[in-house]
Amino acid sequence: MTPTLIQYLVISLLQIVAVLGFVMTLVPLLTFAERKVIGYVQVRLGATRVAGGLWGAQRGRTHQSRTITGGLNGFMWWLGKWPVISILRGLPMFIADALKLLTKEDIVPTDADKAVFVLSPALAMVAAFTVFAAISFSPGALFYFPAKFPFLGGLPFNGFLTDINVGLLFILGVASVGVYGIVLGAWASNSKYPLLGGLRSAAQIVSYEVPLTLSLLVPVVLTGSLNFNEMSTRMAADVPVNGLVGIGRSLLMFVGFFVYTTCGFAETNRTPFDLAEAENELVAGFHTEYSGMKFSFFFLSEYASMITVSALASAFFLGGHYLLPFGLQPAWNHFFQHSPYAILAWTCTPSILWFLLKIFFLLFVFLWVRATLPRYRYDQLMNVGWKFLIPYTLVMFVIAALLRYAA
Amino acid sequence: MFKTEEMEINLGPQHPSTHGVLRVKLHLDGETVVRCVPMIGYLHRGVEKICENKTFFQGQVWTDRTDYVASVSNNLGWAEGVEKLFGITVPRRAHYIRTMLTELNRITSHLLWLGTHALDIGAMTVFLYAFREREEILSIFEAFCGARLTTTAFRIGGLREDIPPGLEKQVRAFQARFLDCIEEYETLLTENRIWKKRTIGVALLNAEDAIALGVTGPVLRAAGSTYDIRKVFPYAAYAEMDFDVPTQTAGDTYARYLVRLEEMRQAHRIVNQCLDGLPEGPVMAKLPKVLKSEVNEVYHAIEAPKGELGYYFVGEKGGVNPYRMHIRAPSFINLQALPKMVEGRLLADVIAAIGTLDVVLGEVDR
Repeated sequence: MTPTLIQYLVISLLQIVAVLGFVMTLVPLLTFAERKVIGYVQVRLGATRVAGGLWGAQRGRTHQSRTITGGLNGFMWWLGKWPVISILRGLPMFIADALKLLTKEDIVPTDADKAVFVLSPALAMVAAFTVFAAISFSPGALFYFPAKFPFLGGLPFNGFLTDINVGLLFILGVASVGVYGIVLGAWASNSKYPLLGGLRSAAQIVSYEVPLTLSLLVPVVLTGSLNFNEMSTRMAADVPVNGLVGIGRSLLMFVGFFVYTTCGFAETNRTPFDLAEAENELVAGFHTEYSGMKFSFFFLSEYASMITVSALASAFFLGGHYLLPFGLQPAWNHFFQHSPYAILAWTCTPSILWFLLKIFFLLFVFLWVRATLPRYRYDQLMNVGWKFLIPYTLVMFVIAALLRYAA
Repeated sequence: MFKTEEMEINLGPQHPSTHGVLRVKLHLDGETVVRCVPMIGYLHRGVEKICENKTFFQGQVWTDRTDYVASVSNNLGWAEGVEKLFGITVPRRAHYIRTMLTELNRITSHLLWLGTHALDIGAMTVFLYAFREREEILSIFEAFCGARLTTTAFRIGGLREDIPPGLEKQVRAFQARFLDCIEEYETLLTENRIWKKRTIGVALLNAEDAIALGVTGPVLRAAGSTYDIRKVFPYAAYAEMDFDVPTQTAGDTYARYLVRLEEMRQAHRIVNQCLDGLPEGPVMAKLPKVLKSEVNEVYHAIEAPKGELGYYFVGEKGGVNPYRMHIRAPSFINLQALPKMVEGRLLADVIAAIGTLDVVLGEVDR
């Protein structure tokens, strides 16, 4: 059943809301997870409560528990008595964070280039979020609206927004616009520390885009497609029968995953490559002069691009919607596809669950690395990019071409 | 048409990694430091002048506030300096307890250095691990003298009180796990490629330059010198202790890191020896109520965690205050080496160099 134009628009709108809602919820939750993960790595608890009263001081109130936050904190105190769920203490922090950023005074420095200063956070955020138009969370329909559903009955609700044939190209192109937000914002601040941060980040992101793109060329060559769905499904499950080629391909994906993730860390300005905002050197780097909502735009875009990088890594290298990474799924299917145990047979089928789990794991890795590693110096970062990653990715690219030829 | 100029940038006095209110004026060519001028004095309180208006007993309180992360060390320097001025003999038991506390203090100072230095280079976690152990030592200080940071731990002539019951057990409990804790920091840093890249060959200072600039302490010993006042001019109970002076020859940030870690291990050894060989006896010498000095002058130096900490006293006839008092502060003198270390290097190396010099601004500005 083909949808009419209006039905198509309504469904698209619903899907956009769903994806944006997912990302916009995940980002604040990620900040909460960051507090908690780094907290536990560093033998402390992370956030356990929120501060203050929502309506100013507790005027006319005698006891703390009669304010909203007071009540919440009381509840979290109680929560702390239970072994596992006590990790959820401090969860309201993500709402408090958002409220704080929304209500902060919005400062535009006197000497800043005002138009560019205001535009650049928007540019960074739009770029980071537009990418999700081409990312597919699930290759097929997530569910069909029941037949009796008004207006939309019988239509599919897809796990992706668009299924364009140059999906990967679109993602890379749009994501690279984000660097303009950072560079222009830093330049427009008309201040010294942001200038240094902006220059660093321009050099860094522009140089790391080369190995990032080259490492993504490996799946492109192996699958012969640029369509996100097709690539991720073929990388995971459509392995050529020839055993040697299959093993070579798995190894290539294994190495490629690490190379790509390294570039991804650099591309999203995360530790150990967070030079642009190295707080111990440049105070806050390119966003030193930003406050309130404008700062949170940069913040949101950074976390959104972390999700993008994780999504691409899990789609192309970690097996996407299938259980096993590195193209090992066909071997698994060979043994367990017809297994009498339903749960084993189920692990052979694609599911959005695997994909989300992989994304969450990679996001955890981002936080884990941040808590563990020191930061590279500017020139060393450039060395890593140009002298190691680019040659590696070129070699990988050639191997991928050979494998493709052999298959 | 186009013109290029050096950018002048102020690192501090309010900056996340200048460890207080150090202001470093940098002239940058791109990210390369052309000129580096440390500007100090933001924390100047006139400690030396104040001490000239306090009695010899009262002045010690002010030494807590110079190098506030190593206050026990400062107390020791003051107390021994005054004792030298008046020729007071301190009981042996007091010497042992003083030595033990001072070595524990060396560990806290080095832990604070390790944590903040690693934090400056971007490794956040070591900071919290180091503070976990530092906290335990601060509790030991609290049990001993009631204060954690501004200890005023000693008295002229010995100690006010003997160690309280239970303190020995507390120290032994700490000693039992501390070596493993150092191992834990080392797993995060010593063989870490990024840590090595950020520290090896960075902020070089060879022994000749170090001596010319008056640099002492771990910074000097990392350049190959074995100068350690605990060995060269033993004070307190160090003559009876068996310990090594760790040295390195590279003179870079990594060498200083290794030297300080090893110093923590040696401090651990000394604390154990103090506990095992703690002699019985009184902890306080017999003193007159008021100390009145003759015309006399004394310089007493100890090996503080940061380097040679010297107290210089001039007494006048019948004076109850020092006529003149001067502190040879290791942080202040070591800071002189900063321009030498970073000029021609990158901005990120300035941060590493400030960290590796281990300056405390309370002591630099006094």
